[in-house]
Parts: sequence; structure tokens; C-alpha cells
Amino acid sequence: MKTGIFQIIALTGVLIAGCEQKTSYIDTMHDTGKAVMALDYRDFDQAASEMVQSMLASGALNKADGGRYVMTTGRIMNDTMQRIDTDQLMAKVEEELLNSGQVVMTSAVGGKGASDQMIYQTRDIRDSDVGDEFDSDTVAAKGQLIAPELSIAGKIFQRNIRYDNNRQQVEYYFQLQVTNLTNGLRFWQKETLIGKRGSNKSVAW
Amino acid sequence: MKKITYILLFASAFALTSCYEQKDQIHLRTEVRSDDLGNNIVTRPVAFAFSALIGEGIEINEAFTRINKGGFLELHINGFNRSQFTKKFKYRVEWLDQDGMLIQTKTSVWQRMSAMGKSPFSFKVVAPRREAVNFRMDTRKWE
Repeated sequence: MKTGIFQIIALTGVLIAGCEQKTSYIDTMHDTGKAVMALDYRDFDQAASEMVQSMLASGALNKADGGRYVMTTGRIMNDTMQRIDTDQLMAKVEEELLNSGQVVMTSAVGGKGASDQMIYQTRDIRDSDVGDEFDSDTVAAKGQLIAPELSIAGKIFQRNIRYDNNRQQVEYYFQLQVTNLTNGLRFWQKETLIGKRGSNKSVAW
Repeated sequence: MKKITYILLFASAFALTSCYEQKDQIHLRTEVRSDDLGNNIVTRPVAFAFSALIGEGIEINEAFTRINKGGFLELHINGFNRSQFTKKFKYRVEWLDQDGMLIQTKTSVWQRMSAMGKSPFSFKVVAPRREAVNFRMDTRKWE
């Protein structure tokens, strides 16, 4: 009887282990995974790629004297039903724009404040009593920061539409614009739409 | 005889001109344009079945590059969907520098494309670096 119980427990254990889904890495280079109703990394990749290509093709970032514009990222609003860190889009866009050689990004100002707080912390040190502890030649002097000439801002928003009795349509709009901060003129803008249709049971947030 | 030759020449020229305009610039699709002997409610299902049977698909007719005003390489692709059905596919363009080395960029991702049956299609891709002098393009099915 005892042996029988052990055998049943062992068999159940083997069966449960067999049902367990193994964790595996996503092949992000050639992902053939099914589409999901929510936004996933493939959507951000696609949107960022389209945005960067459009910007570079437009010539809006060509500076007349051949130099590079100083750019900052302004406010990117997430108006979807999902908890999205908009940096998921902007980190890619910023990286590609920087690497293109067309712009140089500033970390001193931005829609979320300075992207690197050390810029101001080191200046706080300079202006405090602790500043005496540092070699004054190695501390940033006043009037060294470069103000941005261009700002990139925008929003991501979502529309949920009932498609039929069983399906819903979810539309995601990625909108970005580049504005000249000196005169307020808009140099470039683009909207990328990513649309998905799926079961009403799928949750898009 | 001379008169007949002139009439034939004129008729041929007229026919060729009208064909060119309709083929390349204005595309009246099936079920929009009038049916004819070769394309009507009876022959269409046969044509669709045959297209599926022989596996007609996408072909790329032209791939040309140019440097845009920002100094970036642009790739322009012109193709044709031989199939009777709309073909959805993905493409990815990778950029190579003058030494043939791959340029790592986040813009080299699979992009979606769709071409309607028996129709031309075009798309453009822009290299994100000025070092790009060449490209390679891959395609795959859009699941």
C-alpha cells in the first residue's frame, strides 16, 4: 500500500514537471512569436525605425553650417491604457540620432528634467562648502552648459474599437515632432500607426 | 496598300499608348473595371486557383540607391506581386560600410509590407549612418 502511494506521488510529480513551460530566450533578431494585443518590443522597434528613417530622409536635421544640432527630448506622453515607459521608444530614437552624426543630445535639460542629475550635483558641490575640497580646475565653471536648439516631443495613444461580436481592434498611434526651440518652428513630424485585431477576451493593457 | 499600312501603324501606336497609360499609371482593379473575356465572374476563380497552385508571389524588379540631401544612403525597391492574392511579407535591410562590415543599428528591424494581387509596390529605406555604402535585404513571411 505504502509503495503504491509513493508510486502515485512520483508519477504525479513527473506529470506536473512535464506540463511546466520551460523558460526560453526570445530570438529578438528573427522573432516568429505570435502578435499580442498589447504593445511589445517589436512594435517599439518598428515605430522607432520608421521615425528615425523619416527624420533622416526629411533633411530637417541638416544644419546650414554643416555642424550638429543640440537636441533634447521634451515631453513624451503615454496616453495608452498600458504602463509604458516612453524611454522604450525614445532610447532607440535618441541612440540612432546620436549615431547618425546629425545631432548631439544634451543631458542637462529634458521633459523629465535632466537625464543625468550629476550635472547639477557637481555644480551644487561647486557652490557649497564642500567645493573647497575639490581642485577648482576640475569643477565645472559657470556658463559651460550648452542649451538645446531642437526638442523632440510627442505622444503615444491608443484607441479600442469593437470590430464585431467576438473581435476588437486596437489602434496605437505614435506621434513625434521636432521643434526649433529658438523660434518655435516645427521642423518635422510623423505619425506611425500600429493596428491589431484580436479576440475580445485579449486585454490590451 | 500604303493606306492600310498607315492605318495599321496608327492603330498600333494608339493601342500601345492607351495600354501604357492604363498599365503603369492608372490601375483599374478587377471588379472595378468592366469584365472581359479573360477576366470575368467565371474565369476569376480559375485564375485565383491557378495562381495558388503554381505558387505565384513577390518579385523585385528594381533596387537602386542614392545619397539623400543629408548624405545618407537610400534604398528604393520596386517590385510586383505576381499572385492574384494580396501578399503580406516582412523585409529587413542591413547596411554595410566600405569594408563590407555590418553597421549595427536599431533601424535594421523587420518591417511589414503588403502588396495587392497583380500590383506593383514600392518602398524606401534610409541608412542611419553616412558610412553605409552598400546593403543587403532579407525577406520572410508575415505570419
